[in-house]
Amino acid sequence: MENIKNVLNKFDMEYVEDYKPTWIKAKLKNKDDLLKVIEALKKEGVKTCSTVSPTDFIDENRIEVNYFLEDLFNKKNVWLKVDLPRELENCEIYSITPLIPSADWHELEAYSTFGVKFKGHPNLRYFLISRDYYGKFPFRKDFDWIAHEQNLIQNINDITEEYFDEYEDYEQNKGHEGSRTVLNWGPTHPASGPIRLKVYTNGENVEKIEPDIGYVWRALENLAERKDFIGTIVAVERICFMDNPNPMICYSQAVEEIAGKEITEFAKYMRVILGETGRIASHLISLGGFFGTMGLHTFMMWCLDIREYFLDVLEDYSGARIATACVEPGGVRYPLNDYKAWFDGINKAIKKFEDTKDDIIDIFMKNPLMNTRAKDNGIFTLEDVAEYYLAGPIARASGAKIDVRIDEPYAAYDKLQMDYVTCENGDARDRLYIIFKELEQAMDLIKQAMVKIEEGIQAGEMDPKKDHLIKMPKRMPAGEAVSRVEWARGEMLMHLVTQEKATNPYRLKLKAPSVNHTMVLDKLLKGKTLSDIPLLYGSMYICQGDLDR
Amino acid sequence: MNVGAMLFYILVFPGFLFLLTWMFFVFYFSRKVLAYIHKRVGPHFNGPAGTLQTVFDVFKLLTKESITPKSADPYLFNIIPIITPLVSSLPVILIPWTPLINNGHGILDTEYGVLGLVVLIGVEPFLLFLTGFGSNNKYSFLGGMRILAQMISMETPFFLAALAPALLFGTMNLYEIQSQNTYLTTLILLPGAVIFIIAMLGILEQPPFHIPDAEQEIVYGFYTEYSGTNYVLLKFAEFTEILVVSAAAVVLFFGGYRGVFFDSFWWLFLKIALLAVVMVAIRASNPRLRLDQMLKFCWSWLTPLAILNLVWVIFAKIYILGA
Repeated sequence: MENIKNVLNKFDMEYVEDYKPTWIKAKLKNKDDLLKVIEALKKEGVKTCSTVSPTDFIDENRIEVNYFLEDLFNKKNVWLKVDLPRELENCEIYSITPLIPSADWHELEAYSTFGVKFKGHPNLRYFLISRDYYGKFPFRKDFDWIAHEQNLIQNINDITEEYFDEYEDYEQNKGHEGSRTVLNWGPTHPASGPIRLKVYTNGENVEKIEPDIGYVWRALENLAERKDFIGTIVAVERICFMDNPNPMICYSQAVEEIAGKEITEFAKYMRVILGETGRIASHLISLGGFFGTMGLHTFMMWCLDIREYFLDVLEDYSGARIATACVEPGGVRYPLNDYKAWFDGINKAIKKFEDTKDDIIDIFMKNPLMNTRAKDNGIFTLEDVAEYYLAGPIARASGAKIDVRIDEPYAAYDKLQMDYVTCENGDARDRLYIIFKELEQAMDLIKQAMVKIEEGIQAGEMDPKKDHLIKMPKRMPAGEAVSRVEWARGEMLMHLVTQEKATNPYRLKLKAPSVNHTMVLDKLLKGKTLSDIPLLYGSMYICQGDLDR
Repeated sequence: MNVGAMLFYILVFPGFLFLLTWMFFVFYFSRKVLAYIHKRVGPHFNGPAGTLQTVFDVFKLLTKESITPKSADPYLFNIIPIITPLVSSLPVILIPWTPLINNGHGILDTEYGVLGLVVLIGVEPFLLFLTGFGSNNKYSFLGGMRILAQMISMETPFFLAALAPALLFGTMNLYEIQSQNTYLTTLILLPGAVIFIIAMLGILEQPPFHIPDAEQEIVYGFYTEYSGTNYVLLKFAEFTEILVVSAAAVVLFFGGYRGVFFDSFWWLFLKIALLAVVMVAIRASNPRLRLDQMLKFCWSWLTPLAILNLVWVIFAKIYILGA
């Protein structure tokens, strides 16, 4: 960490300070120094960009761009800030994409939503937002949403017309040249979900993939700014329905950090249980979906069967199965009136999984045809992980020891026994195995947390009926915080900015792993066949909810 | 053969009505078995234990509009769904269904039964390729290309495996083959039967070889543009082909309608149903192969094994049966 501080101090910085054990926060005075700083940091091993998050301070007439840079393997992270003028003509900065490829789409997103121009970006274009927002930069504070919504019908008609123009262009002009053609894989395709991959094929062979995203863009980051601090949890939980409690944990931690509050032990363990239940619910769908991409739906049905029991657990606690809204700033939302009954439900769910486990291993995990398809297919090396920031299970399948739960422990994870779960080869089959291993780990963590809660209650240290929530201030002080959790599909990072006596977030940046995982699809699928598209795409566990937000 | 019998054969058994009933049955049966393996219930509400569900489904499709896409070739697109079921039900006349018809022979009692079966089954894929070609849709066309590649390679082991019983019994007449079948010859023919069933999965586009209509890859392959009546007709052809090919497997390798205490159509039916269970079980537990992997498997494993199997059959004929 000292090395990085020294490096940063060589440049003209407003401040360089420690932030949390693994972060250094610094602010650059002159925006033209950025590339030199990045180059120097890269020599120190900080060569991955988590996300790029601009904040629009309209009163001070500036846009502050936050770079979250990480050294994945040595756990040294840098939070770098630069100020830019707010006027559209001058709002530009050098792009770091040529140096750090993982920043690519994050810069495009910052350009499309805030109008920050990145000089030297290899392909700067509008991205993610729908066509009617082009050139209007909707996340700027002076964007008039109501005026924009008035032209809704006209905008939709324009989009449709442009789509048909593009379609004719592809069908008639570029369409069929020998055996070369462009196939649409999505957005209404049996296995794609709301994403469109333009597949340039030569017969069965894939030559290039162009992902076209933004079909479920809900402007969640902007939505959060319009709600109060508690109401925001229903915006962040909708980032993806499959792993629902973890985004709320991430957001709540950021709010608690700004308010300077510490939650109770009981709430911390409850967050572990809820978070891991969410992870299990997500992983079970991922497992089933992996085989679904190869036309085998049995496993999906089995997984949904098990998942029902875990959703019952969430329902017993919060009253809802999918959108639970069960974690809020200050702890967890509901008291646990009958903790024994709830624990029985959890044990029943775990037993259901363990009863089926042997069959799953025999029939599916050792399946010879799955081996033929997935083994040595779509390999990611450790260098790829660092270059494109593949997160979570995808990185761990390649053998990278990355897990926010251990690197930067939150909730009660530092008091539980856990270790990095990794595989070695980084092929599609390992990405399946890692999910299965993580399922077992998650259940182990839940068991440990239950034991701790029970001990705490018996020793009189915890009161499940009162300890769940501490009192949070209605109005927050000015401040900002970065919070990270290990989400089911990888690192989730939230950057929260508040203003003095505010009742709602001033800016909430959501970073979710699917963006980077979609970014590498071209590299992953080039030279493969059409049949590999669903398999390898499925093995990245991409969820369009957190891809578009 | 008088006119009345002929009409009965064409319209009732083993013709149209029988094939239609078979379609309803196998549709329902595979759904129910698949649901059991999936830990679901399957069809449940219409009729006792959901038996009427498939009937409703078929009639719902029949009442729906058959859409012909603007870009498709209208004649080719619409005529193939009429030809395909006719061609796929032709082999029905060769198979000895029951001791009650024609003294237990097939309706057409010929010396070239095995050859006729293989040829008539082999025509089908070219028609399905034409559906893909006539749809003028990228996905359909890719599906059509895939079906050609798959058929050309899978028919080789299919034919070689079907030759095994003909060699062993020295005749191509299906009635002769099934009546000479004993427990010993069934054992001798078992490797051939396994190869035949694997190749049959490829011919029928059943999992793990459902490559031509791989829905995660190319939407629905050659079926993509079909809807309503045309779709029902194509599905009817598919189920008829399943019936014919499984009946061929039973007649060639497992003694046809001959059973333990009495000979009857129901023995044939039972054997076909068992085969269907095997097919559904394979479908429920195995993912799809890639096209190139299927070709490799077919040409470097299945075909050589089928040839070796012929050697084994001749060896067994000389030294075990002592011909």
